[in-house]
Amino acid sequence: MNFDAFILMKSEMSLTLIIFFLLILKVWDGIKDNTALLHVVNFLLLINLITGFFGNTDGSLFSGMFHTNNTIYLEKNILKLGMFIISLQSFDWLKNHKHLLEFYILMLCTLLGMDFMISSNNFLMFFLGLELSSIPLAALANFDLEKRKSSESALKMILSSAFASAIMLFGISILYGVTGTLDFTEMAPLLTTSQLSILAFLFVFAGFAFKLSSVPFHLWTADVYEGAPVSVTSYLSVISKGSIVFIFITILFQLFKSYDTIWVNVLNISLLLSITIGNLFAMRQENIKRFLAFSSIAQMGYILLALTNGTQTGESAAIFFLLVYTFSNLGAFGVVALLSAETGKETISDMKGFYVNNKFASWVMAICLFSLAGIPPTAGFFAKMFLVTAGAEKGNYTVISIAVLNMVVSLYYYLRIIKAIFIDKPDTPLAKLNGSMMMKISFVICISGAIIMGFASNLFEYINTITGK
Amino acid sequence: MNEIGLSQVLFVSCALFFIGIYGFLTRRNMITMLMSVELILNSVNINFIAFNKYLFAHKLDGLFFTLFIITIAAAEASVAIAIIINLYRNYHTIDVEEVDTMKF
Amino acid sequence: MDFYDILFWILSVMAVGCALGVVLSRNPIHSVIFLILTFFAISGHYLIMNAQFLAIVNIIVYAGAIMVLFLYILMLMNLNADAEPQKGLLVQIAGILSGGTLFLVLLAATKSAHNEEINKVSTNVGLITNLGKLLFTKYVLPFEISSVLFLTAMIGAIVIGKKEPQLKNGEEHIA
Repeated sequence: MNFDAFILMKSEMSLTLIIFFLLILKVWDGIKDNTALLHVVNFLLLINLITGFFGNTDGSLFSGMFHTNNTIYLEKNILKLGMFIISLQSFDWLKNHKHLLEFYILMLCTLLGMDFMISSNNFLMFFLGLELSSIPLAALANFDLEKRKSSESALKMILSSAFASAIMLFGISILYGVTGTLDFTEMAPLLTTSQLSILAFLFVFAGFAFKLSSVPFHLWTADVYEGAPVSVTSYLSVISKGSIVFIFITILFQLFKSYDTIWVNVLNISLLLSITIGNLFAMRQENIKRFLAFSSIAQMGYILLALTNGTQTGESAAIFFLLVYTFSNLGAFGVVALLSAETGKETISDMKGFYVNNKFASWVMAICLFSLAGIPPTAGFFAKMFLVTAGAEKGNYTVISIAVLNMVVSLYYYLRIIKAIFIDKPDTPLAKLNGSMMMKISFVICISGAIIMGFASNLFEYINTITGK
Repeated sequence: MNEIGLSQVLFVSCALFFIGIYGFLTRRNMITMLMSVELILNSVNINFIAFNKYLFAHKLDGLFFTLFIITIAAAEASVAIAIIINLYRNYHTIDVEEVDTMKF
Repeated sequence: MDFYDILFWILSVMAVGCALGVVLSRNPIHSVIFLILTFFAISGHYLIMNAQFLAIVNIIVYAGAIMVLFLYILMLMNLNADAEPQKGLLVQIAGILSGGTLFLVLLAATKSAHNEEINKVSTNVGLITNLGKLLFTKYVLPFEISSVLFLTAMIGAIVIGKKEPQLKNGEEHIA
């Protein structure tokens, strides 16, 4: 008996076990109390997160379809951490929700899909993981069952994701026709610069741009983010995006290595558009979720900036940024989740005078927004700095200067929210929001992450060493 | 043009792909949009099978990819249909225009 | 021109014509019927290309399941009116232009690339025995993942699609 499969696939195995446990719990229907169920689930997710740090060995399985190494373990751990934080933050929303277990089953299935997608070394596995991580998400976006906006966002999400994967599949089919294989390592040396394979690359790239919601394929993002429940939105903007970035790095850097002159140009155009348009639209938003949607489009642009580097410096900068981004964006979304669960309000003007009665939550929001904007003491500053320096190594200073200029512009709209929270004084400020203990724990995790990550300089070194292998 | 070769098959698949894209961009009815996506997926399927048959007949990668595309299309369609039913049930509208405020 | 060639062209014309019917007809019911015809034509192509199993699967899954689901929904929701508003002329022109250029580019690219080696190995690779053996050995992981995918699709569809009973206060929600 060979236990390799169990060791190498341990994160998938543990996720599968949790999924089956929750399914049995659902069918058994023994625990009627939602709060107890949530505690059980959170405990399981914490165990799942902890197991990710032990016993990591490299290897590949199923004739190269599944492979794993330290970078991939790190990426999976980032996703698991985000999942845990989101689960803590959805406590207030889910404790009155009828379909709590289904919510977790679907969400963990998407996480499973992302794990398989990141570990894939084959287009078939990649595609299955991608679909497993996007189809249930559309169902999740519909989980505010009685809200019309929620259904609409789910519909937009499934139509656009189906369209994006269809386009990407067309590219994959041509790549298969050109090379005769689906395996990344076998395919990479066979790629020539014939028109057909470059066209195929562009199709695959367009599909990725859709999933990353980088301009000009961003149109679905704001509507989906606005309509979906806050937990699902934060999941979409952090974890789903993060997993796509991880596999995108693999595909660009390994599979399409010979096309790097082409994709650097395509990336440059796409990132400039993303940063500029994301920023411009973010300024005009009233709804906080829409605002965060456009800000996430701009952030994706900065990640693409690091990817133009094309070496492992860019890769580690992107991974580090996503780690910091997980903390800071989830912190901001957590405050929105608290506001939405308690009052049902989600606009910036609703947050006026938020500081009067909610000091802690206001500071969480402020620190997280500072981190997102990249203001010095926070981790976001260092993460952004790594991204920009990684991008600058190629010496494309026009792109870099436009990106840095945009960082200054972005300060305006982040400060706008902070002004609403701290300075604006409406006649009747918001009452005190009694978030649950879980929410507070998640806030503590997020702000400590958003601050400490900036000073833990050896963390970036560590990421750099494991991506270098 | 006497012999049926790869180019002829690819011509058909490209045409289907184009029609699917056109349909997706121009129709407002959600179900028709979904059908356009199915058309694109079918053009992909034809591609895979043709490449497999004409160029790489010793391996079955293309056939398997097609098999999985078909299964996934089924799953996708079922979820999409459920979402459409939910939209319909809550608002009892048969007017697609009202349900569909896509800004594509 | 032997029999297969004639068959191929008939099927191709049928596939493309019916696909045009799908996107051009105003009545969604007609679109579904056209799409089913397209699927039959494509299955014919699969048969010509020696992929018998996939031809059958295509008909069973697409024409048999997905399309019947679509038809059922259209009938159920009474969406079979011709009243579908079209998008503006600008969007249509944009659609034609983008789709058309893409088509031309693709065509040019495929023409340039694939006139070389075409080996007509006529094997029976598409038969169930070969597919089945590989499906449970080399492709077992994708197979399992697709089963998880179906599980999620099922759960998602049930949660979203199920009619919620109007519960009175204090009454427990059942399954």
